[in-house]
Parts: sequence; C-alpha cells; structure tokens
Amino acid sequence: MRLLHSITSSLLLSGACIVSAASSWSFEDATISVQSKGAGVSAGAGAKDKLNPSSPLAKSVSLGAADMLKLQLTTTDGKKAKRPHQAFLTLTDPATGLEESFVLSVKDSGKSKVDLTHKDLPHQFFTSSKPIAASIVISSFGSSTPYKAKVFDLEISRDPNLPLAVPEKPLRYAVEKEIHHIFREDPRSPPKIISLVFAAAVVAALPVLFGVWISLGANASHLSKALRSAPISHALFYGSILAMEGIFFLYYTSWNLFQTLPAAAIVGVVAFISGSRALSEVQERRLAGLR
Amino acid sequence: MRWLLSLFLLGVAACVSALSVSGSRLLVVLEDEGEREKYGVFLGDLSDRGFHTTIQSPKSDKLSLFQHGERAYDHVIILPGKSKGLGPALTANQLLDFMKKEGNVLVTLSSDHATPTAVQSLLLELDISIPSDKGALVVDHFNYDSASAAEKHDVLLLPFPKALRPDVKNYFAGEGVIAVPRAVGQTLGNESPLIEPILRAPNTAYSYNPKDEADIVEDPFATGEQLTIVSAMQAHNSARLTVVGAAEILQNGWFAEKATLSGKAVKTANREFAKKVSQWTFKETGVLKVGKLLHYLDEGVSKKLNTSLSIPEHNPTIYRIKQDVAFQVEISEYSGDHLAPFIPASSDSVQLEFSMLSPFHRLNLTPISQTANSTIFGVSFKTPDQHGIFNFRINYRRPFLTNIDEKRQVTVRHFAHDEWPRSWQISGAWVWIGGIWVTIVGWVAFVAVWLYSAPTERSVKKTQ
Repeated sequence: MRLLHSITSSLLLSGACIVSAASSWSFEDATISVQSKGAGVSAGAGAKDKLNPSSPLAKSVSLGAADMLKLQLTTTDGKKAKRPHQAFLTLTDPATGLEESFVLSVKDSGKSKVDLTHKDLPHQFFTSSKPIAASIVISSFGSSTPYKAKVFDLEISRDPNLPLAVPEKPLRYAVEKEIHHIFREDPRSPPKIISLVFAAAVVAALPVLFGVWISLGANASHLSKALRSAPISHALFYGSILAMEGIFFLYYTSWNLFQTLPAAAIVGVVAFISGSRALSEVQERRLAGLR
Repeated sequence: MRWLLSLFLLGVAACVSALSVSGSRLLVVLEDEGEREKYGVFLGDLSDRGFHTTIQSPKSDKLSLFQHGERAYDHVIILPGKSKGLGPALTANQLLDFMKKEGNVLVTLSSDHATPTAVQSLLLELDISIPSDKGALVVDHFNYDSASAAEKHDVLLLPFPKALRPDVKNYFAGEGVIAVPRAVGQTLGNESPLIEPILRAPNTAYSYNPKDEADIVEDPFATGEQLTIVSAMQAHNSARLTVVGAAEILQNGWFAEKATLSGKAVKTANREFAKKVSQWTFKETGVLKVGKLLHYLDEGVSKKLNTSLSIPEHNPTIYRIKQDVAFQVEISEYSGDHLAPFIPASSDSVQLEFSMLSPFHRLNLTPISQTANSTIFGVSFKTPDQHGIFNFRINYRRPFLTNIDEKRQVTVRHFAHDEWPRSWQISGAWVWIGGIWVTIVGWVAFVAVWLYSAPTERSVKKTQ
C-alpha cells in the first residue's frame, strides 16, 4: 500500500513537474536493448526500446542465456540532467517478494548505464513463474522528490535442457512434513472358495480310502473275539491311542506344553504296557491262522 | 526446563517482580558515565520491570562476566563507546561463553562510533555481517524524517515489523513508527537457522559510507530488505543475542519524538519497540515450558492428563507393535509475569515424532484442552510394525521461541506367540487342517482294522 502510494505520488509529481518547476528526480532518453553475444552488434541493436518514466513498457523484455541487457538513461532533477546519489535498477520477484538491486554507473552529466547478464541474477529468478518486475530508483539527498516506478517486465528465458544449479535450501526451523508409517501388508489368504474346494477334496479322500479298504475286505469282526480273550489290555490300548489324539487336540486348542507332556507320558506308559498284552493276543490269533 | 520453573516460583515467592524467566541481574556496559542520562528512560523501564542494573565501564577492573566460573550476570547490554576495544573482560570468546551458559546479550551499534573489535568478531562468529568501515550508515530517501534529517535522510521512520513468516509468532508488533537514526545495517548469513531479522530496512534503503561515497553510491554494502536494522540470534541452548543497528533507537531523545514522514506529522514509538526488543532478548516473551507428557494404550477410553506437579509422570514402558497409542503433552508460554496456554501461529503446529534413529511417525499435535496456564496437545496413532527401542519426541524449534526437545523412551515388542490369529481363522490353512484331521481319523481307523480285522474268504484261500 505504502509502495503503491509512493509510486502514484511520484508519478503524479513527475507529471506535475512539467508544469511546475518543483524539483523531483526522474530520467530521460532511456533505452533498453538486449544484445545476443553470437548475433553481433547490428542484430542486437534491433531490439531497442524506449522507456518512459511515467508508464511501464507494454511488452516484457526477454533475456536469454547468452544475452546482455543494456539499460542507458540520463537522470534528471526537475528538467536538468543531474547526478543522483542513488540510481538503482531493482528487480522484484512478484511471487516471493525477493529483491535484488543493481547500481547504475552514473557520470557527472547524469548519463547512466547498467549491463545485466544471467550471471548477475540470483538463482531464484530463474525458477520464478511470473516475469520479474524491474523498477528504477533515482533519488538523492535534499528535498527533491525521489523517483521509483516500475519500468518494464523482465522475462528470463533459459535453455530448459540445461540443468539449473539451484543450491540446496538452507535449514529453517518450521513445521516439517508429516510422516505416517507405512505398514507392511497383512499376509493374505487365497479366495475362500478355493480353500474350501481343496479342503473338500482332502476330506473326500477319507471315504475313498475307507471304501478301498472295505472292498479289499477290511472289517472289525474279531473285535468281540479280542475283547473276550484280553478285554482290559485291548480297551486300554485302543483307548490310550484315542486319548493321545485327545491330548494333541487339547494342546492345539488350549493346553500348554507343561500340561501336555505329563499327560502324554501317562498315556504313553499305559499304551506301552497294555499294548504289549494286546499285541500278544493279536500274535496268538495270527499263529492260530485267524489273520 | 525444571530450573526455569523453580526460578520462576522462587521469584514469585520472594515477591521480586523480575519478569524474566532467566534472572534479573543486568549488566550495562557503558564507557562514558555522562551518556547514562541519554538512555535514562530505557534503563528506568528495565528497572521497573524488575531488573537489577549494574552499569560498568569496559575499562573498569572489576568488570567480569563470570564469578567463580558461573555467570555473574544474567543479561548484558553493550552500549557504544568511543574506544575501539572493549577490554579484556569482554572479548568475543567471553561473550560466547556467557551465551553458552545461557546468558542473553543485547549489542548496540552506532555509526558515530567505531564498532569494537570484540563485537565485530562476535557477530562474525554468528554469521551476522556489518560494514567493515567506520561511519557506514543506512539511508533511505523515501522513508526519512524530514524534520530532523531533511538533508541527510539518515533518520529512517519505519513501521513496526510484521510477522517474519505466516507460521511465526510476532513478538515485535506495535502501533506507530520507529525512528532509526544513523543505523549500522547488518546482513544475515543464509545458512544458519538461528539468526532472524527483527526489523528490516525498507526496500529503497541502502548502506553507504559518507566518507568515500559522498557523491554517489557505487558499491553499497547491502540494499533493500536484505539489510536488517535489528537482528536476533537464538542459540541451541536458547540463549539470545540481539543486535540493534542504531543505539540511538534506545535513547530518550527518540522515545516519543515528533517527526515528519513524507509531509505528515507522526510520533515515534521507539519506547514501545525498545520494550518489545528488550523483553524478547531478556526472555520475558517467547519462552516455552513443557509440562507433563502422557502416553497410554488407547483402548477406546481416553485418559485425562493430570497436570498437577505433585503426581509424577506414570507412563507405560512397553508397547506391542501395531497397538493404538494416545499421546498428550502440556505446553505453556511465559507471557510477562505468568504462564499462559501456548497457542502456535495459525499455520504452525507442534509435532510428535515416534522415532527409532529416524522418525517412523511425525504427527501434528492438535490442542485438545486448555488449563489455566497450559495447552494440552494430543494425537493418537498406531505403533509401527517394527519392534525396538522408540522415543516419543517433541522437538519444537521455531524462530523467536525457546527450543523444546523432550523425549520419553519406550520399548516396542513384537507379537507374543499366543497373540497371533489361530490357524482356523486363516482360510488359507483350511486345506492343511483338513489334511491333519483326515490323517488322524485314518490312523485311528487303520489301527482298529489292523487289530480287529478278520480274514476274508479270499485271503484265507490265498494263505492256504
């Protein structure tokens, strides 16, 4: 706001100075040219523009990588050419507000000039999305009104193929990017239908096995005979085999190892002792030709 | 952090109205006792705020920043003097040692006096550059006081500074204009995050040497807003140093003076600005204090942080991976004479890091409640799927605020063997479970058949 105010007031004053003799700083005979290094003097001289202190240049000035921008003007105080104390060309990045001032070399006659190449510019200007506003500041001690106004827009063109050497951003204490831990994926199961089909196939193998056994003549007809000749040992032996499976089932669902082991030991001893009797009975049947 | 509070409590108990959290012993280094009157209002304001002022000449034999290896003062103001040195008691190294022991320093420069070499090398050490030639000063032909500097334009009239960034609190805001007479401009190094400008020069200002560059400025030290008039540095231990480019800002003569800015009559508000700057430098503002940290296993029931100091923190020491954890922290800001709830700037937030070597989580904390003198910030998250020793860490560093770095260590263990899902809950295991059952039933049936099977006709025939 203040800036705008000062610009407008200085504009008004610079307009007014034609009428009144109130002393204020301005410039005249300002030319701006962009010379390409390779193109020679005659070609470069073609891109010459006149600058007006009261209104900025309508088109923006483009500065390439090999170009040199030449600004020439004569500083005036009131209507007379005069040498000011401060004669700056100030470039402002409109997006970030970054400013860089270049000092014009001024002769006693007020004739001033400044040359600009890519080398002189800070790297932030190269990445700016908007054209850089260039203003001229002319002022000095005493009571003359200082002059500051935007005179042209500077478009910095650069070869997009060439990498830009942008220094790493320095550390500033500010809020940092949030980090959310990326969790490893949970283990996944195949579709349930596939598991079910294969589980059914596995379970179906059991009836098939039993069917084959029966077709081969498997039966349990000697059960009564075995129980008659060695009832306790057969009951205990087969019971202990079933009990062992029961212990495994309990271990799978709820028991820990210290509950499982003693139970398995007891059942194992029972199976060993009753098994030797039961198997003797089976041997007797075999010797009798009943197996 | 605890000593801060105990000091504060001690101060309250003793009814000493020292408003700084880091003590009230203030040393003013002033060479010419006759100049004391010039700074009378400023020093009076400091005494009114509870500082015990000692004024010493740098030439004095008694002057020492340390006594028995400890700081003899809490704060130092260095005012410009005629001589080029500050004597053996105030070398750059000693001032740095003073800051290492958390002492605060306010350095003033003046273009009328040569900057002492000790101050020059101190600023160089901190990456703050000042023009090397004596007499260099800041002028601006747009914002000068036309009443007192109609010809020379070396008394700048500037508005109070705006916030440095949208996410930084402004401790230097105020109404009116600040008169900056004959300032020595500084430029700040770009690399250090510890130095910040408090008051920048306007964009048409520049620094020049009236002796060499009387006709035209050809090679200015710095121009525009790259030139700062008051700059600040806060060390990692939160010791503060402020460089005031113009000692005259602090003088009575400019505290409430009539001035003219581009034709309009204005009144300078230097007294207010001097107060703000000295308050910040001497840790009366911008001081943060962490209270308790609370973290717990989030089982759907939210717990409340008990802020009472009589109950110690009682937090779990172990969590499992992938557990929901809630975290809360209590932060207060010291404001003038009491602790107030801390409210960060609008686009800023306190962050929690859950880290093992590097952060696995970095989360913005949201204020969940306020007590009379603290804000409680909280966040909930899931512990990462990585076991190890983790830290809940609050590392809050912002310009103009004292640094917070608090950690609480916890163990994060992996799943115990009985915490995994059971095999029947995994559909992919059904085929294998089926296989086991089929084997068991087949085995039991096989034993029965083997034990009790009678020979069939066919097999009897075969054996016969």
